Amino acid sequence: MSCGTPHDDCAKVIEAVYLYLDGEMADSDCVEVRAHLEDCSPCLREYGLEEDFKRLLARKCGCEEAPRELKTRVLDRLREVRLEITKVEFRTD
Amino acid sequence: MLLLCPARDASPGYAVASGHRLEVRAVEETLEQRSERFERTALPFLDQLYSAALRLTRNPPDAEDLVQETFVKAFAAFHQFEEGTNLKAWLYRILTNTYINIYRKKQREPLQHTVDEIEDWSIARAAEHTSGGLPSAETQALDHLPDSDVKDALAALPEDFRMAVYYADVEGFSYKEIADIMGTPIGTVMSRLHRGRKALQKSLYTYALERGIVRATPEAEGAQA
Repeated sequence: MSCGTPHDDCAKVIEAVYLYLDGEMADSDCVEVRAHLEDCSPCLREYGLEEDFKRLLARKCGCEEAPRELKTRVLDRLREVRLEITKVEFRTD
Repeated sequence: MLLLCPARDASPGYAVASGHRLEVRAVEETLEQRSERFERTALPFLDQLYSAALRLTRNPPDAEDLVQETFVKAFAAFHQFEEGTNLKAWLYRILTNTYINIYRKKQREPLQHTVDEIEDWSIARAAEHTSGGLPSAETQALDHLPDSDVKDALAALPEDFRMAVYYADVEGFSYKEIADIMGTPIGTVMSRLHRGRKALQKSLYTYALERGIVRATPEAEGAQA
């Protein structure tokens, strides 16, 4: 149906929007949702909005580069930890 | 040294002193081998863990300390990590636990929001928007918001909601993985995601209105009322 009038099962489809977009829906249910979206423009629009929003977050809040010194700090600290492990091992022997 | 216990227990067969290997069991990994494996497989997640740490602590110095402590704990427990399982999720779980143990105590915050607080928070916001949360056709306009606005809006969400949304939408973890990382049932993850996303949509729309990126429409007025 492409008249824009909601179907009876629209509420169910809209309720499942995150399950679908998050890839948490069973394949058989995905097929049903896709069939519904092909016929129902209001639901399709809602799914599109939510999908855009997910992508927006990923783009705007994605991976930030750690300060370069942090890697050095972590490596130095790990070296210290290894030394401490070594000392303990040596003592127990 | 609390941190050393797991590592020591896990590797009874080796002992290394002054770079000289004293005793090695054939099947056991040496400390050097484990270090090499750790630096090769775990360390590449440093930038990603730093991003997550920033979302948790909301300030760079604490985020750096948290990442460092996470790697120390992860290395100490690395023998317990099963090859072939999800290393990224494992590291995030350590990050989350470390944060809870150190920073929440430091900030003297309650360990969990009480159920009442979550309900109040959710109901207050649920009353503010329509079922969709975001007026239609406005998501593209939100793309014009500066990154800092989106990050600020995310930072303003209560922690449990903030991290659920971050782990799902930015890191792409599955519900099961998020449940493991956050130590909650999957149903709780789904509920936090739903509420967190709706609240975030609402606050981003408000930012966009304030910046004149979108104009209030009758539909949006309804959402604002």
